[in-house]
Amino acid sequence: MSDKPLFILICSQEHEKIQMAAMMASVAAVSETPVHVFVSMGAIYAFQKGLADDARYQGGAFSDVLKDKKAPDAMLLFEQGKELGDMTLHACSMALDVLGWQEDDLVDNLFDGSMGLTKYLSDAEQGQLVTL
Amino acid sequence: MAERKLIDARGAFCPGPLMELIATLKLVEIGDEIEVLSTDKGTAMDVPEWVAKVGHEMVGTEDKGDHWSVVVRKAK
Repeated sequence: MSDKPLFILICSQEHEKIQMAAMMASVAAVSETPVHVFVSMGAIYAFQKGLADDARYQGGAFSDVLKDKKAPDAMLLFEQGKELGDMTLHACSMALDVLGWQEDDLVDNLFDGSMGLTKYLSDAEQGQLVTL
Repeated sequence: MAERKLIDARGAFCPGPLMELIATLKLVEIGDEIEVLSTDKGTAMDVPEWVAKVGHEMVGTEDKGDHWSVVVRKAK
């Protein structure tokens, strides 16, 4: 794994994509790779505070498997990655604006604030960018 | 005196066993060992890879038939 920062941009609310983002982010963060996650578009719905687990992600066959087998929840993996490694999460300021949401509408203790895409892409020039 | 802690992560899926190992490593002393029991096949490969990356020590990996035993020593 490279020591260059890993930038993970999540646009989709699909369970398997958010799960993959959470796995990549948490494992890289605890492996001494700085990770910067940016949540935009429909993905922001999955990070809404107070949702029931079965309403958090968009489904599909693999989502059913993840739930049936009780795979670690993506929100928990992000939380562990932040706690045990070097990880930041930012919400897309445009996504919050169009929904009329504030940072308080997002899952507690996960986000480091909101940010614009231009700033995020500028920062991402220092490392690897993965989009899900 | 070095101690050995046991994490029974059987039934947990990737990256659960690794994350449990890392959380426990933060709590123990240098020289202590942690044994992770896991039914997740990836753990037996992922943990040695992680240990080599961050500078701890692998004590051993053993196939117990229906699960894996992976032992790590805290080195820093």
